Amino acid sequence: MKIKVAKDQILKGLQITQGIIGARSTLPILSNVLVETDEDKLWLTATDLEVSVRCAIPAEIEKSGSTTLPAKTLFSIIRELSATDIAIEVDDKNSASLTSGASFFKILGLPKEEFPPLPKFDSGFAYNLDQAVLRDMLVKTSYASSSDETRQFLNGVLLSFKNDKLTAVATDGRRLALNEHDLECPKDQEADLIIPTKAVAELLHSLGSEGTVKIRAVKNQVSFEFGNLLLLSKLIEGNYPNFRQVIPSQAEHRIQIEREALFSAVKRVALLTSDRSNSVKLTFAKNKVVISAQTPDIGEAYESIPVKFTGAELNVAFNPEFIMDPLRRLTSDEVYLEFNDELSPGVIKCDTPFLYVLMPMRIG
Amino acid sequence: MPDRHIQILSDVVANQIAAGEVVDRPASVLKELMENAIDAGAARIDVDIQAGGIKRIAVSDDGSGMDRDDALLSVERHATSKIRDAEDIARLDTLGFRGEALAAIASVSRFRLITRLFGALSGTELTITGGRLGDVREAGGPQGTTVEVRDLFFNTPARRKFLRAPETESGHLRLAFLTQALGHPAVGMTLQADGRPIYALAGDATVADRIRDLFGLEYLARLRPVSYEHGSVRVSGFAGVPAAARLDRGEQYVFINRRPASAPTLARAVREGYHTLLASDRHPVVFLFLEIPPDRVDVNVHPAKREVRFRDHDEVRDAVIGALRRSLASDGAAVLAAGSGPSAPPAAFGAESAPASFPITDLPPVRAFRYPRLPLGPVSERPLPPDLPGGEPAAPTAAAPSDGKSPWDWCRVLGQAGSLYVVLETAEGLVLLDPHAAHERVLFERFMKAVAAGRVESQSLLVPETITLTPATVQPCRRHLELLRAMGFGISEFGGDTMVVDALPALFGGASAARLLPDLVSELESTGPRADRSRWSEEGIAQAACKSAIKQRDRLTLAEIEKLVLDLASADMPYTCPHGRPTMVWLSFSELHRRFGRT
Repeated sequence: MKIKVAKDQILKGLQITQGIIGARSTLPILSNVLVETDEDKLWLTATDLEVSVRCAIPAEIEKSGSTTLPAKTLFSIIRELSATDIAIEVDDKNSASLTSGASFFKILGLPKEEFPPLPKFDSGFAYNLDQAVLRDMLVKTSYASSSDETRQFLNGVLLSFKNDKLTAVATDGRRLALNEHDLECPKDQEADLIIPTKAVAELLHSLGSEGTVKIRAVKNQVSFEFGNLLLLSKLIEGNYPNFRQVIPSQAEHRIQIEREALFSAVKRVALLTSDRSNSVKLTFAKNKVVISAQTPDIGEAYESIPVKFTGAELNVAFNPEFIMDPLRRLTSDEVYLEFNDELSPGVIKCDTPFLYVLMPMRIG
Repeated sequence: MPDRHIQILSDVVANQIAAGEVVDRPASVLKELMENAIDAGAARIDVDIQAGGIKRIAVSDDGSGMDRDDALLSVERHATSKIRDAEDIARLDTLGFRGEALAAIASVSRFRLITRLFGALSGTELTITGGRLGDVREAGGPQGTTVEVRDLFFNTPARRKFLRAPETESGHLRLAFLTQALGHPAVGMTLQADGRPIYALAGDATVADRIRDLFGLEYLARLRPVSYEHGSVRVSGFAGVPAAARLDRGEQYVFINRRPASAPTLARAVREGYHTLLASDRHPVVFLFLEIPPDRVDVNVHPAKREVRFRDHDEVRDAVIGALRRSLASDGAAVLAAGSGPSAPPAAFGAESAPASFPITDLPPVRAFRYPRLPLGPVSERPLPPDLPGGEPAAPTAAAPSDGKSPWDWCRVLGQAGSLYVVLETAEGLVLLDPHAAHERVLFERFMKAVAAGRVESQSLLVPETITLTPATVQPCRRHLELLRAMGFGISEFGGDTMVVDALPALFGGASAARLLPDLVSELESTGPRADRSRWSEEGIAQAACKSAIKQRDRLTLAEIEKLVLDLASADMPYTCPHGRPTMVWLSFSELHRRFGRT
């Protein structure tokens, strides 16, 4: 194999693969990046067996071929090179010679046969979506997913293609975030995919604001194809809990409130919470909501925001992070809070198809 | 002066003494009766117990039954149909053989036996009270044998005193039933306690069916099938995935030739089979069925046949280890192929390295050198009391620095040793920190302060979790519901052995109730005799809960360690975990200098 590439291009590609390759992988081959020639481009592939990323960069191919090279070494070398073009030649023993300006490097690779084969996506399951839409859905939900390893099915974001809707859901058992998007879903292509947190993080990192993303899935694998990138991930197996059942069907009270105002008030008041006492109280009184925190040994804080509210006074306590998480990611000016009483779940909505359920805290 | 001549004891007394070996509690009565029923070829066994079996245990079977003479002989000591001569012991294929059980049981209870031989027109009923034969008469009744044991130990008050509360005995009985049910899935079995049906198990079942019926489908999903052969030993059954491991050994069921058995060899082999897969204080869940030619295993070691001896230890050990490895490795291979989850890759099997029990995930080696000094805020106002000045909370002596200076003006993380201990450098020396113990201490103090202030924050769960406890742990849990609730656990009974949890103390972050509760109760059970063991204390619950919650964490980041060190510095008793283990070991520079001969 003999090729020429631009430094910027290959560096960009290697940067993406760096995100996948773990610092301490147990199989040596997983520290390598698979390098394959194609007509006028080079494919770079990295995998940790759970998530794989494949990225195409333009290249001048003199002689086709493929090999695997230690990703970290390759990345560090190319980053430090001063010239803009790099020639790479690989012999049949997987030893690669890099020539760039006056620099020469020889690095030893491993045969490409040792690189784990990537799954094939030969089923008909495929959807096209705007990159920006998918990104937005993941931004507004993924923070709510769980990291509790005993409940792996919650360690990711559910993408549910059903009833002509794509629904993204994440929950950690204490709160739940949901976002919907209208999408034509043929009956034979309805599916629930649980995308692991690591793949979601890669998507959030790489998805752009323009262009489309193609989502394909086979039994336990999913792929996202966008721009010059292909991101593959294992799906989390298991049934996602029936999230519809935790969404309160009706609310006794509904108030409209300025998102920024609520967010910054909670943020300020939460300064007086502690590890031991980590709750803020929302007191709904006539035409205002008072956000407060009292922590023994530390102090107390109050802040009130005017709202339209006429019911009897009501106190609900929440983990302040749980309130702030969605508010900092939403974009609309106003949000709606829905609630029934101090022990029932609270709901945050806005004028887009977004919904957030959070469970209150009991104190005493 | 009493008569001191040596005498041959009467049969009644001899039987009562023997009863001490065979029958020590209602559960052992149940075991003997169920084994007899199984040996009689029963297809169905019904068990009915009252008041923890102390009041009544009745076992009915539809087995072969006995005629009048056999029935009378069956309650004599060393009367058995199962062996004829000593050589038979070496090729035993029945569960019982010693011929002691019925005689022993009958000597310490009000005993009634009704039996009808297969094909006979009428049956026999006999009663024995405290070892003395009463009525023997003809009786009707279905084919098979029913044995009823009432008022166990009524005539041996010393032994009766050692019985525990009915609920505790009931737990043991259920365990005994469960063990037989697992060992003999072909036999249909029912258990009724105080008029309440507990289990109804269909016959002609497989082991998998039994596990599902007894423990639930979800439980079964966490087990991997085992099937292996080594020399003359065949091993089958199920092995729990490492994630299903528990804090106690309670769910290790090992059967040899369908007989529940234990032997040091087996326990060691199970541990060895999970080597590198489990932390040292976790125990795997296993259901193992060993088939060994009867002449290669000696079950005549213990009257209750609990312990066995093997003619060839190594063969049995290698068979169990091999079986577990094969079963778990196939799981591992699936993990690799599908690229799933964070669990250990198969390369770890058989690897010499110790399990990574608490790795710091983001510790780049270079960073340690440029790491900024970490000032410990609270220290300036309130120095930690290494020399225990009066008025300060009494720090336990363990690991407290001895030169009278606080090691805590600043510190920095140097790294981690043995994938567990965090190595810190301070102005005065080195500190080795056990992050588990430190975490426990910090969490425990927070929790107890909240409890003491009557201000426990409880985070409600979106979906309540139902958790099925074991018979042994459900009783104490049930007794302490109020206390658990006061401590922030939204817990209530769901019927049977199942609890439903709809809120957890907020301090435990994202902990899962399904994992936390069983660990908590078994931790409380296993902490052993405390001052007053019948009641759980708030402190005990807090200790157990914190320990379990920390167990769920198996990764640490550098930022978390810094936070932990800060939190620990402001703890009342930073030097030990709530269970008394040291949180840190301190090595002063002067000590180092001395050791290097630089003084």
